[in-house]
Amino acid sequence: MTTAEAPVQTVEEPVRPTPPPAARKLRRRPDRIRSSIAAWTAVAVIGLFGMLPMYWMLVTALSPKGQAFQFPPKFIPTEITFEHFRTFAENEQLFDYMVNSVIVALITAALSVIVSTYMGYSFSKFRYRGRKSLMNFVLASQMFPQALLLITLYAVFRQFGLLGTYTALVLSFTTFTMPLCVWMLKGIFDTVPDALLEAAAIDGASRWRTLHTIVAPLAAPGMIAAGLFAFVRGWNDFIFALTLANKDTMTLPPGLVNTYIGEFQTSWPALMAASLIVSVPVVAAFMFLQRYLVGGLTAGAVKS
Amino acid sequence: MSASRTTGARLSGAAGMNRRDALRLFGLGALGVAAAACAPSGGSTSNGGDTKAKNFGFSSWSLNEEASKPEVQKIISAWESSHKSKITTTAFPYNEYLQQLTLKLNGGEIQGAVHLDIAWLAAIAQMGKLKDLGKVAGKGGYTDVSLKSGQYDGVQYGLPWTTGSIGLIGNQKLLTEAGIKQHPTTIAEFEDALRALKELKGVTPYAAATKVAQLKDIFPWMQTFGCTILDGDKVTIGDDASVDAVEWYKKLHDEKLIAKDVDRFDARALFGQGTVGFYDDAVIGKGATLATAKEKGLAEQMVPVPRPVLKSGDQPRALLWGGVIAVVEGEGSDAATDFALHTTSDQATTVEYFSKLALPPTTTKGLADPKVAADTFTTDWTEKITKTATPGPFWAYAKNAQIEEAVAKQVQAVLVGQASGKDAMKKAGEEVSALIKG
Repeated sequence: MTTAEAPVQTVEEPVRPTPPPAARKLRRRPDRIRSSIAAWTAVAVIGLFGMLPMYWMLVTALSPKGQAFQFPPKFIPTEITFEHFRTFAENEQLFDYMVNSVIVALITAALSVIVSTYMGYSFSKFRYRGRKSLMNFVLASQMFPQALLLITLYAVFRQFGLLGTYTALVLSFTTFTMPLCVWMLKGIFDTVPDALLEAAAIDGASRWRTLHTIVAPLAAPGMIAAGLFAFVRGWNDFIFALTLANKDTMTLPPGLVNTYIGEFQTSWPALMAASLIVSVPVVAAFMFLQRYLVGGLTAGAVKS
Repeated sequence: MSASRTTGARLSGAAGMNRRDALRLFGLGALGVAAAACAPSGGSTSNGGDTKAKNFGFSSWSLNEEASKPEVQKIISAWESSHKSKITTTAFPYNEYLQQLTLKLNGGEIQGAVHLDIAWLAAIAQMGKLKDLGKVAGKGGYTDVSLKSGQYDGVQYGLPWTTGSIGLIGNQKLLTEAGIKQHPTTIAEFEDALRALKELKGVTPYAAATKVAQLKDIFPWMQTFGCTILDGDKVTIGDDASVDAVEWYKKLHDEKLIAKDVDRFDARALFGQGTVGFYDDAVIGKGATLATAKEKGLAEQMVPVPRPVLKSGDQPRALLWGGVIAVVEGEGSDAATDFALHTTSDQATTVEYFSKLALPPTTTKGLADPKVAADTFTTDWTEKITKTATPGPFWAYAKNAQIEEAVAKQVQAVLVGQASGKDAMKKAGEEVSALIKG
């Protein structure tokens, strides 16, 4: 079969004069300035939205009692006092609450990461009956209202004599942190190629060694992100700590409410000063570990 | 070989159990343990232990609070040293107290004496763990109104520690500036007074509650307009009187005689700046308001005002407010009963407590003490407001908080113009009836 050859046409493109680089720059500049202004405006608005509560906390913490309650409120304080920070420093009980918070949050973070690493690895790299059911079961615990679980956990801990102990706090916090940590870490382990595991097996590494010396270092950012999430959860919890702890094991959130919020009065300036101080460890942890946090949270998002 | 294909081996053993069976067994076991742990403690009316034990527990939110903590601790320490015993204290924040107490009382963790808001007494008494204190109540010399505040279903479950009421507080300086020579006694006079106060620059005539959290303050006004709210078990919200009350509230709102989005804390803050003519508060609210007040000399200007009535001769309405000490049956309950009686009725103890916290005593002798009688604000309050105060209409119901919120939401719907007074009160009445039955 023959086909008629189409006549070859050559269309000459009109030749446009290429502007010199300096002129191109000049033409792009207004666009760039416009998009820059839009971007900075967006950043400023979002930043303001996020930072305003923090600023208001600071203003209230630095205001004398009378001024903190004036109406309409003053955006820039006219009188400044450090009295509320001083009263926090002088309160030994608050220091005890802080120590309890550090202990409980750190153990929660460590326990969550350890357990979630093994569970996530198992869900990701092994195939066995009931795997999917177990994965869904782990996730399902996130779907119950916390107040409902509080009553159940309270009854269980009471039966086992764990009320008022660090163990009760750590176990209850871990109940809530673990599902997300497991799924986060499973996603990260999914991105580790099986070929790497096979190579390790060929070289004679046991499964145990493969996980600890090859996979875990690769998943470190994810593990740090999971740990940070668990730490913050343990640090901020109020209702479980209030219900399951006693005077000696009370953590900061219920401790602060106990100290500053009363039936008729709330010492807002002192509460704000205390809240600012106690947020320092969490902010410091975030600043120190933020590059891992971002990397860890997104590591499992895309599979190779 | 891929690691993913290396697993899945069946568990083998003498019993021939596979992994699925093992999982099932494990699940059943876990369920069993949880069920055993969550099982009710047998509905016991006592938390067990030796009732004659000298040591006991004491639970109170006052043990947390900056102002009251040292005074309560002083009472506890004095008891411990004079009776050679140990009182184990437990404290929860006021707003979480009822929830925590209910949970822990049911779990058998709370023993001895428990401080209760009188609004919670019915809910806690219904748990069946409290001791009947009828036999010792007669020894205290309490006033009638105080004694009644500790009763539920005809039984004396609590000894009154503080009895007051929630009523109107006025700023005498502003009232004088507005040309109000006498405190208003009727609704019509009250409206005139509010309009006169509105003429003053920057003044909120009446910082009435308009936020849902505090809109239960509408109940005394409903009663003022003639609504009984509850007649036996029948809810009367929705009748003409309740509609009149809410529409009157709406009128004040529309005329800007009351302000938008105000709760008790806002009202105190505004009153503390000397910009409010009237607001609703408990007798102890004076101290809370003054603690953050900018206006100098405000203490002398604060006056209790009986709630105006619909027509002359009606009884002013007020909500009873206060606290009682109840005793949990079981470990140390006898000593806890003595402690409760001592704390609430010992002359020196109650007068000292009053002088530090301005919480009026509950005994006739205590009220007559020169130190108490010298405080004209408190004595006026007791005489003019507390005397005719009545308990909250729904305190006897475990769902009291939900009931109050249901009514408050409908009142707010009227205030913001989303519903008419008639429709809103009809709906509120239906919702409350359903909550009572549920």
